[in-house]
Amino acid sequence: MDFTEILYKIFIKDGGWLTILNGLWVTVQISALSLFLGTLLGSLLCFFRVGKFTPLKVIAQIYISIIRGSPVLMLLMLLFYGVFARTGMAPIVVAVITFSMHTAAHVAELLRASLMALDKGQVEAARTLGFSKWQAFQLVTLPQLAKIARPVYQSTVVNLIQWTSVVGYVTITDLTRVINNIASRTMQPMITITGGMIIYLALSYLVYGAFHLTERRRAQ
Amino acid sequence: MKKIFVLLMILTLALMTGCGGSNDGDKKTSNDAGKIKLGMITRLNASEESFGKFMEEVEKTLNVKIASHKPIFFDSLNAMEAALQAGQIDEISTYRSVARYMIAKDPRFNVLKDHSLEFIDSFCFALRQDDTELKDSLNTVIKEMQSDGTLDRLTKEYITDINAENDPPAVEIPTIDGAQTIKVAVTGDLPPLDFVSADGKPAGFNTAVLAEIGKRLNRNIELVQVESGARAAALTSKQVDVVFWAIVPVSEIIPQDSDKPDGIALTEPYYKDEEKK
Repeated sequence: MDFTEILYKIFIKDGGWLTILNGLWVTVQISALSLFLGTLLGSLLCFFRVGKFTPLKVIAQIYISIIRGSPVLMLLMLLFYGVFARTGMAPIVVAVITFSMHTAAHVAELLRASLMALDKGQVEAARTLGFSKWQAFQLVTLPQLAKIARPVYQSTVVNLIQWTSVVGYVTITDLTRVINNIASRTMQPMITITGGMIIYLALSYLVYGAFHLTERRRAQ
Repeated sequence: MKKIFVLLMILTLALMTGCGGSNDGDKKTSNDAGKIKLGMITRLNASEESFGKFMEEVEKTLNVKIASHKPIFFDSLNAMEAALQAGQIDEISTYRSVARYMIAKDPRFNVLKDHSLEFIDSFCFALRQDDTELKDSLNTVIKEMQSDGTLDRLTKEYITDINAENDPPAVEIPTIDGAQTIKVAVTGDLPPLDFVSADGKPAGFNTAVLAEIGKRLNRNIELVQVESGARAAALTSKQVDVVFWAIVPVSEIIPQDSDKPDGIALTEPYYKDEEKK
Protein backbone atom coordinates (compact mmCIF):
# COMPACT_ATOMS: atom_id res chain seq x y z
CA MET A 1 0.00 0.00 0.00
CA ASP A 2 1.54 3.31 -0.91
CA PHE A 3 1.36 6.34 1.29
CA THR A 4 -1.26 8.35 -0.61
CA GLU A 5 -3.54 5.33 -0.58
CA ILE A 6 -3.21 5.08 3.21
CA LEU A 7 -3.92 8.81 3.54
CA TYR A 8 -6.98 8.44 1.34
CA LYS A 9 -8.23 5.54 3.42
CA ILE A 10 -7.73 7.37 6.70
CA PHE A 11 -8.97 10.85 5.92
CA ILE A 12 -11.27 10.71 2.88
CA LYS A 13 -12.82 7.31 2.21
CA ASP A 14 -16.55 6.80 2.89
CA GLY A 15 -17.08 10.36 4.05
CA GLY A 16 -14.36 10.21 6.70
CA TRP A 17 -13.50 13.87 6.06
CA LEU A 18 -17.08 14.87 6.91
CA THR A 19 -16.84 13.08 10.24
CA ILE A 20 -13.59 14.94 10.92
CA LEU A 21 -15.26 18.25 10.04
CA ASN A 22 -18.14 17.43 12.38
CA GLY A 23 -15.67 16.73 15.17
CA LEU A 24 -13.87 19.99 14.41
CA TRP A 25 -17.17 21.86 14.53
CA VAL A 26 -17.92 20.43 17.99
CA THR A 27 -14.47 21.53 19.18
CA VAL A 28 -14.97 25.02 17.75
CA GLN A 29 -18.45 25.34 19.27
CA ILE A 30 -17.33 24.36 22.76
CA SER A 31 -14.25 26.59 22.54
CA ALA A 32 -16.09 29.65 21.21
CA LEU A 33 -18.97 29.47 23.70
CA SER A 34 -16.63 28.82 26.62
CA LEU A 35 -14.40 31.68 25.56
CA PHE A 36 -17.31 34.11 25.40
CA LEU A 37 -18.87 33.07 28.72
CA GLY A 38 -15.48 32.59 30.38
CA THR A 39 -14.36 36.09 29.42
CA LEU A 40 -17.54 37.66 30.82
CA LEU A 41 -17.37 35.67 34.03
CA GLY A 42 -13.61 36.27 34.28
CA SER A 43 -14.02 40.05 34.00
CA LEU A 44 -16.64 39.95 36.73
CA LEU A 45 -14.37 37.82 38.92
CA CYS A 46 -11.49 40.24 38.37
CA PHE A 47 -13.78 43.12 39.30
CA PHE A 48 -14.59 41.34 42.59
CA ARG A 49 -10.99 40.33 43.13
CA VAL A 50 -9.57 43.87 42.92
CA GLY A 51 -12.65 45.48 44.48
CA LYS A 52 -12.99 46.77 48.01
CA PHE A 53 -15.82 44.51 49.21
CA THR A 54 -14.00 41.88 51.27
CA PRO A 55 -16.41 38.84 51.19
CA LEU A 56 -16.64 38.90 47.38
CA LYS A 57 -12.92 39.44 47.19
CA VAL A 58 -12.26 36.35 49.31
CA ILE A 59 -14.74 34.26 47.33
CA ALA A 60 -13.13 35.28 44.05
CA GLN A 61 -9.70 34.52 45.47
CA ILE A 62 -10.73 31.03 46.62
CA TYR A 63 -12.49 30.27 43.33
CA ILE A 64 -9.49 31.33 41.27
CA SER A 65 -6.99 29.34 43.30
CA ILE A 66 -9.10 26.15 43.29
CA ILE A 67 -9.88 26.23 39.60
CA ARG A 68 -6.43 27.26 38.47
CA GLY A 69 -4.83 24.66 40.67
CA SER A 70 -6.75 21.61 39.44
CA PRO A 71 -6.79 19.75 36.13
CA VAL A 72 -9.76 20.64 33.99
CA LEU A 73 -10.49 16.97 33.23
CA MET A 74 -11.15 16.31 36.93
CA LEU A 75 -13.54 19.25 37.07
CA LEU A 76 -15.29 18.03 33.93
CA MET A 77 -15.72 14.47 35.23
CA LEU A 78 -16.87 15.76 38.60
CA LEU A 79 -19.51 18.00 37.07
CA PHE A 80 -20.79 15.55 34.46
CA TYR A 81 -20.72 12.30 36.42
CA GLY A 82 -21.37 13.90 39.81
CA VAL A 83 -23.02 17.26 40.16
CA PHE A 84 -25.16 17.28 36.99
CA ALA A 85 -25.53 13.50 36.63
CA ARG A 86 -29.17 13.42 37.69
CA THR A 87 -30.28 16.52 35.80
CA GLY A 88 -30.05 14.91 32.38
CA MET A 89 -28.25 17.99 31.10
CA ALA A 90 -26.70 17.59 27.64
CA PRO A 91 -23.00 16.72 27.85
CA ILE A 92 -22.06 19.62 25.60
CA VAL A 93 -23.72 22.08 28.02
CA VAL A 94 -21.78 20.62 30.93
CA ALA A 95 -18.59 20.92 28.87
CA VAL A 96 -19.28 24.57 28.11
CA ILE A 97 -19.98 25.25 31.80
CA THR A 98 -16.75 23.53 32.82
CA PHE A 99 -14.54 25.29 30.30
CA SER A 100 -16.19 28.64 30.99
CA MET A 101 -15.45 28.19 34.69
CA HIS A 102 -11.89 27.24 33.89
CA THR A 103 -11.30 30.04 31.41
CA ALA A 104 -12.89 32.54 33.80
CA ALA A 105 -10.28 31.85 36.47
CA HIS A 106 -7.46 32.32 33.98
CA VAL A 107 -8.97 35.45 32.46
CA ALA A 108 -9.51 36.95 35.92
CA GLU A 109 -5.86 36.43 36.78
CA LEU A 110 -4.56 37.78 33.50
CA LEU A 111 -6.72 40.88 33.82
CA ARG A 112 -5.57 41.45 37.39
CA ALA A 113 -1.93 41.08 36.36
CA SER A 114 -2.49 43.60 33.55
CA LEU A 115 -4.21 46.02 35.94
CA MET A 116 -1.28 45.83 38.30
CA ALA A 117 1.07 46.71 35.48
CA LEU A 118 -0.73 50.01 34.93
CA ASP A 119 0.39 53.26 36.44
CA LYS A 120 -2.08 54.18 39.17
CA GLY A 121 -1.10 57.84 38.98
CA GLN A 122 -2.78 58.22 35.61
CA VAL A 123 -6.22 57.41 36.99
CA GLU A 124 -5.60 59.76 39.91
CA ALA A 125 -4.57 62.49 37.48
CA ALA A 126 -7.68 61.91 35.38
CA ARG A 127 -9.87 62.07 38.50
CA THR A 128 -8.23 65.34 39.56
CA LEU A 129 -8.95 66.74 36.12
CA GLY A 130 -12.64 66.10 36.71
CA PHE A 131 -13.21 62.76 34.97
CA SER A 132 -15.79 60.54 36.62
CA LYS A 133 -14.73 57.08 37.85
CA TRP A 134 -16.31 55.44 34.82
CA GLN A 135 -14.79 57.94 32.38
CA ALA A 136 -11.35 57.43 33.88
CA PHE A 137 -11.72 53.66 33.50
CA GLN A 138 -13.08 53.87 29.98
CA LEU A 139 -10.70 56.46 28.60
CA VAL A 140 -7.49 55.88 30.55
CA THR A 141 -7.40 52.38 32.00
CA LEU A 142 -9.24 50.27 29.42
CA PRO A 143 -7.18 51.09 26.30
CA GLN A 144 -3.92 50.38 28.10
CA LEU A 145 -5.35 47.28 29.74
CA ALA A 146 -6.38 45.86 26.37
CA LYS A 147 -2.92 46.43 25.02
CA ILE A 148 -1.15 44.70 27.89
CA ALA A 149 -3.62 41.82 28.21
CA ARG A 150 -3.80 41.00 24.52
CA PRO A 151 -0.80 38.66 24.11
CA VAL A 152 -1.66 36.66 27.23
CA TYR A 153 -5.33 36.51 26.26
CA GLN A 154 -4.34 35.18 22.87
CA SER A 155 -2.47 32.29 24.42
CA THR A 156 -5.38 31.63 26.78
CA VAL A 157 -7.61 31.19 23.73
CA VAL A 158 -5.21 28.74 22.13
CA ASN A 159 -4.83 26.86 25.42
CA LEU A 160 -8.60 26.63 25.75
CA ILE A 161 -8.91 25.00 22.34
CA GLN A 162 -6.39 22.38 23.38
CA TRP A 163 -7.99 21.78 26.78
CA THR A 164 -11.26 20.86 25.09
CA SER A 165 -9.61 17.75 23.70
CA VAL A 166 -10.64 15.82 26.84
CA VAL A 167 -14.41 16.07 26.27
CA GLY A 168 -14.43 12.49 24.96
CA TYR A 169 -14.55 11.49 28.63
CA VAL A 170 -18.05 12.92 28.91
CA THR A 171 -19.55 11.22 25.85
CA ILE A 172 -18.88 14.06 23.40
CA THR A 173 -17.34 13.25 20.04
CA ASP A 174 -14.98 16.12 19.35
CA LEU A 175 -12.01 16.32 17.00
CA THR A 176 -9.73 14.28 19.30
CA ARG A 177 -12.31 11.51 19.67
CA VAL A 178 -12.87 11.36 15.92
CA ILE A 179 -9.13 11.08 15.37
CA ASN A 180 -8.84 8.32 17.99
CA ASN A 181 -11.78 6.45 16.50
CA ILE A 182 -10.20 6.57 13.07
CA ALA A 183 -6.87 5.43 14.47
CA SER A 184 -8.53 2.40 16.09
CA ARG A 185 -10.49 1.50 13.00
CA THR A 186 -7.71 1.89 10.46
CA MET A 187 -4.93 0.61 12.75
CA GLN A 188 -2.77 3.57 11.69
CA PRO A 189 -2.37 5.62 14.88
CA MET A 190 0.81 7.49 13.91
CA ILE A 191 -0.44 8.97 10.65
CA THR A 192 -3.93 9.67 11.97
CA ILE A 193 -2.72 11.46 15.08
CA THR A 194 -0.24 13.51 13.07
CA GLY A 195 -3.15 14.55 10.86
CA GLY A 196 -5.18 15.52 13.93
CA MET A 197 -2.30 17.60 15.25
CA ILE A 198 -2.07 19.50 12.00
CA ILE A 199 -5.77 20.38 12.24
CA TYR A 200 -5.36 21.68 15.81
CA LEU A 201 -2.29 23.60 14.71
CA ALA A 202 -4.23 25.19 11.87
CA LEU A 203 -6.96 26.20 14.32
CA SER A 204 -4.38 27.83 16.61
CA TYR A 205 -2.85 29.73 13.72
CA LEU A 206 -6.30 30.97 12.74
CA VAL A 207 -6.58 32.43 16.23
CA TYR A 208 -3.13 34.03 15.96
CA GLY A 209 -4.12 35.36 12.56
CA ALA A 210 -7.34 36.87 13.89
CA PHE A 211 -5.47 38.62 16.70
CA HIS A 212 -2.88 39.87 14.27
CA LEU A 213 -5.58 41.35 12.02
CA THR A 214 -7.30 43.21 14.86
CA GLU A 215 -3.94 44.55 15.97
CA ARG A 216 -3.22 45.93 12.51
CA ARG A 217 -6.65 47.53 12.38
CA ARG A 218 -6.07 49.21 15.74
CA ALA A 219 -2.71 50.49 14.60
CA GLN A 220 -4.19 52.24 11.57
CA MET B 1 -11.22 5.99 42.45
CA LYS B 2 -8.38 6.42 40.03
CA LYS B 3 -8.34 2.70 39.43
CA ILE B 4 -11.86 2.79 38.18
CA PHE B 5 -11.11 5.53 35.71
CA VAL B 6 -8.38 3.65 33.94
CA LEU B 7 -10.24 0.46 33.36
CA LEU B 8 -10.73 -1.24 30.08
CA MET B 9 -10.96 -4.74 28.92
CA ILE B 10 -8.35 -7.38 29.19
CA LEU B 11 -6.25 -9.73 27.29
CA THR B 12 -6.34 -13.09 25.87
CA LEU B 13 -2.87 -14.40 25.68
CA ALA B 14 -2.77 -14.36 21.93
CA LEU B 15 0.54 -12.59 21.69
CA MET B 16 1.38 -10.58 18.68
CA THR B 17 4.41 -8.91 17.34
CA GLY B 18 5.00 -6.03 15.00
CA CYS B 19 7.87 -5.92 12.64
CA GLY B 20 7.75 -2.12 11.83
CA GLY B 21 11.20 -0.52 12.11
CA SER B 22 12.04 -1.44 15.67
CA ASN B 23 15.52 -0.43 16.69
CA ASP B 24 17.09 -3.67 17.67
CA GLY B 25 20.52 -2.09 17.78
CA ASP B 26 19.72 0.07 20.81
CA LYS B 27 21.50 -0.82 23.98
CA LYS B 28 19.14 -1.60 26.81
CA THR B 29 20.59 -0.65 30.15
CA SER B 30 17.73 -1.29 32.57
CA ASN B 31 17.35 -4.32 34.81
CA ASP B 32 14.86 -5.72 32.42
CA ALA B 33 17.40 -5.95 29.66
CA GLY B 34 16.61 -8.89 27.47
CA LYS B 35 12.99 -9.02 28.56
CA ILE B 36 10.46 -8.71 25.79
CA LYS B 37 8.18 -5.73 26.34
CA LEU B 38 4.58 -6.81 26.13
CA GLY B 39 1.81 -4.25 25.75
CA MET B 40 -1.44 -4.94 27.56
CA ILE B 41 -4.64 -3.13 28.34
CA THR B 42 -4.66 -1.83 31.92
CA ARG B 43 -6.10 -4.26 34.45
CA LEU B 44 -8.20 -2.91 37.25
CA ASN B 45 -6.86 -4.64 40.31
CA ALA B 46 -3.33 -5.50 39.26
CA SER B 47 -0.19 -3.46 38.78
CA GLU B 48 2.38 -4.10 36.06
CA GLU B 49 4.62 -5.67 38.72
CA SER B 50 2.02 -7.97 40.21
CA PHE B 51 0.89 -8.99 36.76
CA GLY B 52 4.47 -9.89 35.89
CA LYS B 53 4.35 -12.22 38.89
CA PHE B 54 1.16 -13.89 37.67
CA MET B 55 2.86 -14.50 34.38
CA GLU B 56 5.74 -16.27 36.08
CA GLU B 57 3.22 -18.44 37.92
CA VAL B 58 1.46 -19.18 34.66
CA GLU B 59 4.67 -20.37 33.09
CA LYS B 60 5.38 -22.73 36.00
CA THR B 61 2.03 -24.48 35.88
CA LEU B 62 0.60 -24.14 32.42
CA ASN B 63 3.50 -24.63 30.06
CA VAL B 64 2.94 -21.22 28.49
CA LYS B 65 6.22 -19.37 27.93
CA ILE B 66 5.56 -15.84 29.03
CA ALA B 67 7.84 -15.19 32.00
CA SER B 68 10.41 -13.60 29.71
CA HIS B 69 7.93 -10.80 29.04
CA LYS B 70 7.64 -7.55 30.90
CA PRO B 71 4.05 -6.28 30.92
CA ILE B 72 3.44 -2.63 30.11
CA PHE B 73 -0.08 -1.34 30.59
CA PHE B 74 -1.92 0.94 28.16
CA ASP B 75 -5.28 2.61 28.57
CA SER B 76 -6.37 2.04 25.02
CA LEU B 77 -5.70 -0.20 22.08
CA ASN B 78 -4.89 2.87 20.09
CA ALA B 79 -2.00 3.94 22.32
CA MET B 80 -0.75 0.37 22.48
CA GLU B 81 -0.63 0.17 18.71
CA ALA B 82 1.20 3.45 18.37
CA ALA B 83 3.79 2.11 20.83
CA LEU B 84 4.10 -1.08 18.83
CA GLN B 85 4.61 0.79 15.57
CA ALA B 86 7.20 3.03 17.18
CA GLY B 87 9.08 0.07 18.58
CA GLN B 88 8.55 1.02 22.24
CA ILE B 89 7.08 -2.39 22.89
CA ASP B 90 7.84 -5.60 21.06
CA GLU B 91 4.60 -7.52 21.29
CA ILE B 92 1.06 -6.92 22.35
CA SER B 93 -1.38 -9.21 23.99
CA THR B 94 -4.92 -8.97 22.75
CA TYR B 95 -8.05 -10.90 21.91
CA ARG B 96 -7.99 -13.30 19.03
CA SER B 97 -10.69 -11.43 17.12
CA VAL B 98 -8.90 -8.10 17.57
CA ALA B 99 -5.64 -9.68 16.47
CA ARG B 100 -7.27 -10.98 13.33
CA TYR B 101 -8.65 -7.54 12.59
CA MET B 102 -5.21 -5.97 13.06
CA ILE B 103 -3.61 -8.45 10.70
CA ALA B 104 -6.34 -7.97 8.11
CA LYS B 105 -5.74 -4.21 8.20
CA ASP B 106 -1.97 -4.26 8.40
CA PRO B 107 -0.18 -7.33 7.09
CA ARG B 108 3.05 -6.30 8.80
CA PHE B 109 1.71 -7.79 12.04
CA ASN B 110 1.63 -11.48 12.69
CA VAL B 111 0.51 -13.83 15.40
CA LEU B 112 3.40 -14.88 17.55
CA LYS B 113 1.74 -17.29 19.91
CA ASP B 114 -1.82 -18.36 20.17
CA HIS B 115 -2.94 -19.15 23.67
CA SER B 116 -6.63 -19.15 22.97
CA LEU B 117 -6.86 -22.81 23.90
CA GLU B 118 -5.55 -22.23 27.40
CA PHE B 119 -7.40 -19.00 27.97
CA ILE B 120 -10.75 -18.33 26.40
CA ASP B 121 -11.99 -14.81 26.88
CA SER B 122 -15.65 -14.21 26.81
CA PHE B 123 -17.53 -10.98 26.38
CA CYS B 124 -20.58 -9.98 28.32
CA PHE B 125 -22.47 -6.91 29.47
CA ALA B 126 -21.77 -5.19 32.76
CA LEU B 127 -24.47 -3.32 34.60
CA ARG B 128 -25.11 -1.81 38.00
CA GLN B 129 -25.60 -4.45 40.66
CA ASP B 130 -29.08 -3.25 41.57
CA ASP B 131 -30.30 -3.49 37.98
CA THR B 132 -31.37 -7.11 38.39
CA GLU B 133 -34.46 -6.84 36.21
CA LEU B 134 -32.40 -5.71 33.20
CA LYS B 135 -29.78 -8.34 33.92
CA ASP B 136 -32.36 -11.12 33.91
CA SER B 137 -33.96 -10.02 30.67
CA LEU B 138 -30.55 -9.66 28.98
CA ASN B 139 -29.60 -13.15 30.13
CA THR B 140 -32.80 -14.62 28.71
CA VAL B 141 -32.28 -12.93 25.36
CA ILE B 142 -28.63 -13.98 25.16
CA LYS B 143 -29.61 -17.61 25.75
CA GLU B 144 -32.30 -17.39 23.09
CA MET B 145 -29.89 -15.91 20.59
CA GLN B 146 -27.37 -18.58 21.37
CA SER B 147 -29.75 -21.46 20.84
CA ASP B 148 -31.35 -20.20 17.63
CA GLY B 149 -27.98 -19.51 16.00
CA THR B 150 -28.33 -15.73 15.77
CA LEU B 151 -25.10 -15.12 17.63
CA ASP B 152 -23.21 -17.51 15.37
CA ARG B 153 -24.58 -15.79 12.30
CA LEU B 154 -23.56 -12.35 13.59
CA THR B 155 -20.14 -13.67 14.60
CA LYS B 156 -19.53 -14.90 11.08
CA GLU B 157 -20.73 -11.68 9.50
CA TYR B 158 -18.95 -9.22 11.78
CA ILE B 159 -15.88 -11.06 13.03
CA THR B 160 -14.90 -14.05 10.91
CA ASP B 161 -15.48 -12.38 7.54
CA ILE B 162 -13.39 -9.27 8.27
CA ASN B 163 -11.25 -8.21 5.31
CA ALA B 164 -8.73 -5.52 4.56
CA GLU B 165 -10.88 -3.41 2.28
CA ASN B 166 -14.29 -2.96 3.80
CA ASP B 167 -15.81 -3.08 7.23
CA PRO B 168 -19.32 -4.39 7.72
CA PRO B 169 -21.68 -1.39 7.65
CA ALA B 170 -23.09 0.14 10.82
CA VAL B 171 -26.37 -1.49 11.76
CA GLU B 172 -29.56 0.49 11.98
CA ILE B 173 -30.79 0.32 15.53
CA PRO B 174 -34.58 0.30 15.33
CA THR B 175 -36.55 2.84 17.34
CA ILE B 176 -39.71 1.70 18.99
CA ASP B 177 -42.19 4.39 19.93
CA GLY B 178 -42.98 4.64 23.59
CA ALA B 179 -40.62 1.87 24.60
CA GLN B 180 -38.12 2.19 27.43
CA THR B 181 -34.57 3.10 26.48
CA ILE B 182 -31.43 1.26 27.47
CA LYS B 183 -28.33 3.43 27.23
CA VAL B 184 -25.21 1.55 26.24
CA ALA B 185 -21.67 2.90 26.27
CA VAL B 186 -19.53 2.24 23.20
CA THR B 187 -15.86 3.20 23.08
CA GLY B 188 -14.91 2.69 19.45
CA ASP B 189 -11.63 1.25 20.66
CA LEU B 190 -11.98 -2.47 20.10
CA PRO B 191 -12.41 -3.37 16.47
CA PRO B 192 -14.05 -5.48 15.12
CA LEU B 193 -16.33 -5.70 18.16
CA ASP B 194 -16.64 -2.02 18.81
CA PHE B 195 -15.48 0.68 16.42
CA VAL B 196 -16.75 3.84 14.80
CA SER B 197 -17.33 3.73 11.07
CA ALA B 198 -16.00 6.37 8.67
CA ASP B 199 -19.29 8.26 8.73
CA GLY B 200 -19.09 8.61 12.50
CA LYS B 201 -21.62 5.95 13.51
CA PRO B 202 -20.85 3.29 16.12
CA ALA B 203 -20.42 -0.03 14.35
CA GLY B 204 -19.16 -3.55 14.79
CA PHE B 205 -20.26 -6.86 16.24
CA ASN B 206 -21.43 -5.40 19.56
CA THR B 207 -23.82 -2.96 17.90
CA ALA B 208 -25.26 -5.74 15.75
CA VAL B 209 -25.89 -7.84 18.87
CA LEU B 210 -27.48 -4.83 20.57
CA ALA B 211 -29.80 -4.13 17.65
CA GLU B 212 -31.04 -7.71 17.88
CA ILE B 213 -31.43 -7.50 21.66
CA GLY B 214 -33.40 -4.27 21.33
CA LYS B 215 -35.78 -5.93 18.88
CA ARG B 216 -36.32 -8.95 21.10
CA LEU B 217 -36.73 -7.01 24.33
CA ASN B 218 -38.90 -4.41 22.65
CA ARG B 219 -36.75 -1.64 24.05
CA ASN B 220 -34.91 1.23 22.43
CA ILE B 221 -31.14 1.10 22.47
CA GLU B 222 -29.26 4.38 22.71
CA LEU B 223 -25.56 4.19 21.94
CA VAL B 224 -23.43 6.64 23.91
CA GLN B 225 -19.90 7.16 22.64
CA VAL B 226 -17.47 7.59 25.50
CA GLU B 227 -13.73 7.42 26.11
CA SER B 228 -12.92 3.95 27.44
CA GLY B 229 -11.34 5.41 30.58
CA ALA B 230 -14.67 6.94 31.61
CA ARG B 231 -16.89 3.88 31.21
CA ALA B 232 -17.01 2.99 34.89
CA ALA B 233 -17.84 6.55 35.88
CA ALA B 234 -20.56 6.62 33.24
CA LEU B 235 -22.07 3.37 34.50
CA THR B 236 -22.03 4.16 38.21
CA SER B 237 -23.39 7.69 37.72
CA LYS B 238 -26.30 6.30 35.65
CA GLN B 239 -25.33 8.18 32.51
CA VAL B 240 -25.40 4.76 30.85
CA ASP B 241 -27.04 1.48 31.90
CA VAL B 242 -24.81 -1.06 30.18
CA VAL B 243 -21.13 -1.27 29.26
CA PHE B 244 -19.33 -4.05 27.45
CA TRP B 245 -17.16 -6.25 29.57
CA ALA B 246 -14.66 -8.98 28.88
CA ILE B 247 -14.44 -11.79 31.40
CA VAL B 248 -10.93 -12.73 32.40
CA PRO B 249 -10.40 -16.43 31.89
CA VAL B 250 -10.41 -17.96 35.32
CA SER B 251 -7.70 -20.34 36.34
CA GLU B 252 -6.04 -21.27 39.61
CA ILE B 253 -3.26 -18.80 38.93
CA ILE B 254 -4.85 -15.61 37.71
CA PRO B 255 -6.86 -14.17 40.58
CA GLN B 256 -10.50 -13.82 39.68
CA ASP B 257 -10.71 -10.26 40.86
CA SER B 258 -7.75 -9.00 38.83
CA ASP B 259 -10.11 -7.10 36.57
CA LYS B 260 -13.48 -6.79 38.25
CA PRO B 261 -14.58 -3.63 40.00
CA ASP B 262 -17.02 -3.68 42.90
CA GLY B 263 -20.70 -2.99 42.54
CA ILE B 264 -20.97 -4.32 39.03
CA ALA B 265 -22.99 -7.31 37.83
CA LEU B 266 -22.10 -9.30 34.73
CA THR B 267 -24.48 -11.06 32.35
CA GLU B 268 -23.99 -14.36 30.58
CA PRO B 269 -21.35 -14.13 27.85
CA TYR B 270 -22.68 -13.39 24.36
CA TYR B 271 -19.42 -14.12 22.59
CA LYS B 272 -16.52 -16.45 23.22
CA ASP B 273 -13.22 -15.40 21.73
CA GLU B 274 -12.25 -18.77 20.30
CA GLU B 275 -11.51 -20.20 16.90
CA LYS B 276 -14.63 -20.91 14.87
CA LYS B 277 -14.50 -23.61 12.31
